[in-house]
Amino acid sequence: MSLSAALETGDVGLLPSRRDEDWRWTDLRGLLRVLPPRALKASVATWGEGPFAGLVDETLVLAGGAETASLHVPEGVTQTIALRVISRGDTALQASATIRVDAGSKLVLMESYEGDAGAYVTSVDLNFELEPGARLERVALAMDGADGVLVSKAVAVLGGGATFTQTLATSGARRQRLETSVDHPGAGANVHLNGVYLLTGKRHADLTTTVRHMGVDGQTRQLTKGVVRDQARGVFQGRIIVEEGADRTEARMGHHALVLSDKAEVDAKPELLIHADDVQCAHGNTIGALDEEALFYMAQRGLPDGVARTLLVAAFVSEAIEGVQHDGARAVLEAWIAKAMEVSL
Amino acid sequence: MAAVQNTVDQVEGLEKYEHGFVTDVEQDFAPKGLSADTIRFISAKKEEPDWMLAWRLEAYERWLAMDEPNWAKVSFPKIDYQDSYYYAAPKTKEGPASLEDVDPEILATYAKLGIPLREQEVLAGVMGSPRYAVDAVFDSVSVVTTFKKELAAVGVIFCPMSEAIREHPELVKKYLGTVVPTSDNYYACLNSAVFSDGSFVYVPPGVRCPMELSTYFRINAAQSGQFERTLIIADKGAYVSYLEGCTAPMRDENQLHAAVVELVVLDDAEIKYSTVQNWYPGDPETGKGGIFNFVTKRADCRGDRSKVSWTQVETGSAVTWKYPSCVLRGEGSSGEFYSIAITNGRQQADTGTKMIHLGANTRSRIISKGISAGRSSNTYRGLVSAHPKAKGARNFTQCDSLLIGKTSGAHTVPYVEARNSACVFEHEATTTRLSDDQLFYAMQRGLTQEEAVQLLVNGFVKEVLQELPMEFAVEAQKLVAISLEGSVG
Repeated sequence: MSLSAALETGDVGLLPSRRDEDWRWTDLRGLLRVLPPRALKASVATWGEGPFAGLVDETLVLAGGAETASLHVPEGVTQTIALRVISRGDTALQASATIRVDAGSKLVLMESYEGDAGAYVTSVDLNFELEPGARLERVALAMDGADGVLVSKAVAVLGGGATFTQTLATSGARRQRLETSVDHPGAGANVHLNGVYLLTGKRHADLTTTVRHMGVDGQTRQLTKGVVRDQARGVFQGRIIVEEGADRTEARMGHHALVLSDKAEVDAKPELLIHADDVQCAHGNTIGALDEEALFYMAQRGLPDGVARTLLVAAFVSEAIEGVQHDGARAVLEAWIAKAMEVSL
Repeated sequence: MAAVQNTVDQVEGLEKYEHGFVTDVEQDFAPKGLSADTIRFISAKKEEPDWMLAWRLEAYERWLAMDEPNWAKVSFPKIDYQDSYYYAAPKTKEGPASLEDVDPEILATYAKLGIPLREQEVLAGVMGSPRYAVDAVFDSVSVVTTFKKELAAVGVIFCPMSEAIREHPELVKKYLGTVVPTSDNYYACLNSAVFSDGSFVYVPPGVRCPMELSTYFRINAAQSGQFERTLIIADKGAYVSYLEGCTAPMRDENQLHAAVVELVVLDDAEIKYSTVQNWYPGDPETGKGGIFNFVTKRADCRGDRSKVSWTQVETGSAVTWKYPSCVLRGEGSSGEFYSIAITNGRQQADTGTKMIHLGANTRSRIISKGISAGRSSNTYRGLVSAHPKAKGARNFTQCDSLLIGKTSGAHTVPYVEARNSACVFEHEATTTRLSDDQLFYAMQRGLTQEEAVQLLVNGFVKEVLQELPMEFAVEAQKLVAISLEGSVG
């Protein structure tokens, strides 16, 4: 059951549906009765340079006619690379990329998901392999169109002492899922998974993560923040698995969302599956409206209601992007948040 | 020295599952297996009216078309539904008119279990001590219900389900199956077809039930399943506290217990429902035997400002699949769920609650404490949801898991669905093991390791224990200790 299998075979019966436990809030089978034709090769020049232009050494593109990419960062090197996924028209794109980071190297990967106003269907599979001691910082910004459907699945396997830091920011799509699965077979691996979703209109975004600790002394820190308005729907599914013998694992997961309109919806499932006893694992999940007392305080100080709300919302979500280490990438996400706030005003 | 004696008793009690004996009574069985005829047999045995039989047969038809659920984090061999007895009752000529007519073997069984079936026994001891009325269900029938007269004097109906179907058909017709519909889920549907006995409680408007009501379920016959059905209705402004306990003999086979409990709460009424579940958990080494406890419990807070509180101590059963839920329909209604789930040996538990907020200003609170030891698996699975009309809904959830030993599993799977902008849902969960520092401290002060673990575990579950009525709290505390026997050292 996956979008990529359905695109591969053209069989809509392979699309995941709400009957599949992991897709209960992101139904694709009920949404897509037919699949659009495959995207043809076209020039990407008309698409401009992408949100991370000027910050990177090299840019890889996944689009019609360029469905695969691979990247290998050799030992002892630091690289900053952009990966653009471009979806357009009423077409289907099934793309994949393999990324390997050798021991002692560092990769900063800036991903952007760019789509037009068409009813496209895009599936992206990313495979990350981190050798012992390798470091990866992944920053992804999803700017899909309101009628697009996107599923991006990243699978990362970490060697001992490797570090995986990720920040996802999305404004959603007609239906969108950004999924991350991280395996820690090695000892002392370190994972940071952050995410932000800011949804309006009828948009939908699903941030799903699975972290599996198999080695000792692993650490996971996870924080996702979301704001939904209008009839939008935000979904968070976080799963932390600690296998037998993965002692001294420390895992913390947080998901916090603001529901700002009566017809908006947030669904969350933060899971802990623990098979070892020498662990410290916790998760917290809160969903609610803006704090009336804080609004009252700001109104008392003469701030107009709209400004006060924007300030509170911006402060609420910004925490999730503070972990971005690359200054340029963080600035891009900050600007994206600021723009989203402007629109909502 | 009372405290010392208490400890000695407790340690002695740690030996094993002490309710694992079998009572030798002559029993009446339905033919083995499940068919429309089995259902007709049960219905005829219970002298049920035609509408009840039709209801059962319809449920059976639906059940045939359903599939067993497989989403829970439990695994067990496939159940052969044709290899079990669906009705087993101690043989009597007529229904026992008084306690004197009850088979002395059965009376001895309950005496052994410490359940007072004689009203005067309850009164023995200190004057003014709390009393509770008991409905004792032995396999498929209720053998005795105490204090019925006294309860009837204030208008409270407390009787076996089969009697309620005969004596109060209007109430049963009005409420049965309205909280848990026949085809709600696979096991509830099976129960609707073959349910045998259980308790029926009706508390009229404005009445505060003068004593605790309780039912004690006992599976005795081999190769039989127990399918009890309980229906409790608290009319406007009424209050009732209901307790439920259960045990079974030790056997190598798995026995199925698929119950349905329905609670209906009208305006300003309150039901407090407490369970101490101690079915035989199976052999801790081989995992052989034990009860499959697949239970559907749900409360419907239909009235404004109605309230339901579920408290459960789950220590037994080989496999538990149970989610006592609250449908918070009435404005300002509230639901509470306090749970201790302990698994040891090869036990598996997938348990939690559902709080479904439909009405405005509804509130719910979930406190769940899971303890896993041995090679067991313990999952909290819960849903909190708010409908668009549930303005001002609030939930607070706290799930803590404690791991004892390296081979057990503790899992937390909460589902949260917020569908309006004026609800506040908070959830927090932690998973840790017993702190070495605390253990060291307790042992330094002369406690053995086992005692130190008990002390810390009791502290861990205290928040839930204090929600239990007194008599049950004492039993539950002892159970916690027994369940964890052999888990350390």
